[in-house]
Amino acid sequence: MKSDISITRVKTLFKLDLKSRFGTTHKRGVKYRISQCMNALFFLAIYAVLILGMYYLAKIFVERSQMRLEFLTLISFATMIIAAVISTGTIVKNLYQNGDNEMLLRFPVSGKEILLAKSIYCFLHNIIVCFLLMFPIYVTFGAVTNAPAGDYFAYIGIILLSSLVTFAVGNILAVPAVKLINIFKNKFVVVLILTIIIVCGVFVAYLLALSHILTYLRDSRQGIFSADMIIRYKAFLNGAYPFKWYAELVSGRRLGTLNAGGLALRFLYIFLMTAALSVAAYFITSRAYYKTILYGIASGKSTVSRKVKDKQMPVVQTLLTKEFYLILRSFNYSFEYLAMACAAPIMVFFCNRLAATMGTDSVGAAIMPGITIMVIIIFITVTVSFASTCISREGNCFYMTKVMPVSFKVQILTKFILYSVVATISVLLTCLVTGIFYTTDAGDKALSAVDMAAIWGISEILVISLTSLSMAVDIKWPTFNVSGDGELVSANKNVAIMLVVGFFFAIAFGAVVMVTNFIPLQVGDTLLSSQGNLGNIYLILTAVSLILLAGSLSALFVKLDKRYNKIMW
Amino acid sequence: MLKVEHLTKIYPKSDRVAVNDISFELRPGEIFGFLGQNGAGKSTTIKCLTGILPFDSGTIEICGYDIVKDPIKAKMNMGYVPDNHSVYEKLTGREYVNFVADLYNVPTELRRERIKRFAELFKLEAAMDRQIAGYSHGMKQKICIMAALIHEPKLWVLDEPMMGLDPQSTAEIIAHMREHCAKGNTVFFSSHNLDLVKKLCHRVAIVNNGQLVDLFDLAGNEANKANLEEKFFRITGTYERRLFEDYASQESEDMRPDLPSHEGDASESGDKPSEE
Repeated sequence: MKSDISITRVKTLFKLDLKSRFGTTHKRGVKYRISQCMNALFFLAIYAVLILGMYYLAKIFVERSQMRLEFLTLISFATMIIAAVISTGTIVKNLYQNGDNEMLLRFPVSGKEILLAKSIYCFLHNIIVCFLLMFPIYVTFGAVTNAPAGDYFAYIGIILLSSLVTFAVGNILAVPAVKLINIFKNKFVVVLILTIIIVCGVFVAYLLALSHILTYLRDSRQGIFSADMIIRYKAFLNGAYPFKWYAELVSGRRLGTLNAGGLALRFLYIFLMTAALSVAAYFITSRAYYKTILYGIASGKSTVSRKVKDKQMPVVQTLLTKEFYLILRSFNYSFEYLAMACAAPIMVFFCNRLAATMGTDSVGAAIMPGITIMVIIIFITVTVSFASTCISREGNCFYMTKVMPVSFKVQILTKFILYSVVATISVLLTCLVTGIFYTTDAGDKALSAVDMAAIWGISEILVISLTSLSMAVDIKWPTFNVSGDGELVSANKNVAIMLVVGFFFAIAFGAVVMVTNFIPLQVGDTLLSSQGNLGNIYLILTAVSLILLAGSLSALFVKLDKRYNKIMW
Repeated sequence: MLKVEHLTKIYPKSDRVAVNDISFELRPGEIFGFLGQNGAGKSTTIKCLTGILPFDSGTIEICGYDIVKDPIKAKMNMGYVPDNHSVYEKLTGREYVNFVADLYNVPTELRRERIKRFAELFKLEAAMDRQIAGYSHGMKQKICIMAALIHEPKLWVLDEPMMGLDPQSTAEIIAHMREHCAKGNTVFFSSHNLDLVKKLCHRVAIVNNGQLVDLFDLAGNEANKANLEEKFFRITGTYERRLFEDYASQESEDMRPDLPSHEGDASESGDKPSEE
């Protein structure tokens, strides 16, 4: 049968894909290189912390609990699921949603060639992800169990085998995922609610797991590594096929659970499963790809329909409504702002509980007010930093703000009201949830009503201060770097600036409250603070917050017209 | 209606004077064309007079209101259609037009009548309740024009308004420009379409390298009308006799090349697609 795929064209398309992603015609300056290096260092630091965490987990499984094979099964289980999810996301994004599909179809290339070129990229991406994800964990396992050199080669082999399966699974899952995305594409409220549930769920699960690990480290009789729990893990992981096959293939012989025949059998199982999944992936993708991208191109312009009445609204109300819709109808913006603001009370509560457990155990209950104020300000900062793109987000429509017969003060005030109100309600709920728990027996009365009222007051002042400061920063340095759909390409430097400022206040305020609750502070004959009596400290922090509020409001509103006029578009 | 005096604009971090001492005045009821090559200073002038860009010196008055000293009242009397037809694409067409109508305090009854009339005029009835993100290039341009006209501005400013529009819509906009001016309002627009300017405008200004080089009547002045192209080519420094004659002849004659004659069996040669 004559093949209609030209390898030369596939190579050209693949090169084009790589160039469009990583190529540049600009000569990058020193600033750019420094920022790239800083990003790489940040990535490495996070990666190192994760590996360190894995090392301790491996030690717990291998040395304390003697669950070597179970640990390997768990590694396969967790990493392969994560890799499959990432692979599905990459395939959806590159194969089905990439805007270049429409352009490529105009060239004299077939759909199969486009599919093949993009699949090569996705496959290589998947291999790299699998290596980054699995290799350090396997190496950690090898180091903890004193594995011979040969095992390390086996780890590489098993990672390659795992990458084949996860790629095939990604291809199979991508088609229904695209269909689901198309169904929910214009259901903004549903997407927002789902996002809030997922954000809260993932965050709470993560913190609960972390809390259990800490509990175990303190007392091995309790928590998720108690004798009772270990029996349950063993039962689960011993039946966790096909992940157990991978674990046995890696170290079955060394751990004495498998002979040579058993090893060959496990390899055969994995080979057959990989082959079956790959064939299924091939048939599903080759049949669905062309139809799906054509549907995507045809329905790419399908958008929300909504009937409204032609009715006059006051200027401030119409500006507020417009701003709210622009946030709600963008997945990125509603996630960054509305989802974070809605999820904050739950996230703060759990984060605070974990920090309180750690802090109380190590230094005592007196640390609670300090930790609470620090955690709340950190989350305020994350939510409020969205305001630092208030002008940049106007993008190509910025001219509208200059042309409309509404003063710049009113326009900025409207945005300020929207951001402040949402963040203020979020902080109120956060303080209510935290206060109800910690001022009652449920939270061992770790906080007094005075503590909670003061923390709430200071937090609300900081919400307003950080919001106005964020907006002032964006008026000073807006970047109208928007993508085709009019959304900001990525978070700009203003967000980074505001995160640094907010975290500084979080740490400073938290540290002051923590320290003064342990060490009495005396000025002359006046005792400013003692344990459980932080009234004066709260007053000082309130005064500092009010000064910050006055400064940031001035930075935003004084000579606003002149500064706004200077913004070039 | 619009009075620009000694307008000068220099972009920050640039040595070049983008707009250099430009002065002109627009009368009520006229359509004024603003011509110039790309980069001549047309869009910068328009951005200054709409309040988008601050300027270094000079004054701009719209209906007697200074754009710097009294910007709200000045802007209240103006409607602007940008060249890139950028609009809030997350909104529906109706939401966007209502949003703009609110900004200009257009009462409910009046906007209902105008939205209905414009939607019919621009054939946008079916699309009004859909998100603008799904609109075509021409539909976005039409929604921009609808929004700019929703408050019936005394001064209607358009930057390259006909780009990307279908012939029907172009004709509708031209008709609407004339209707708008007939009510005593003024239209100021920039264009590269000399033929359209010649037929539509009462007066025209030609800018080159940031300077207003010529301003002359077209209405009632047949000589100016006849020489508009030559004047434009001469002022913008692109005049070359041979090229101009080519341009002039292209304007008056058919330019399509002759089709190759297909003698013999059409099925053997002409109708078959190329194998290459």
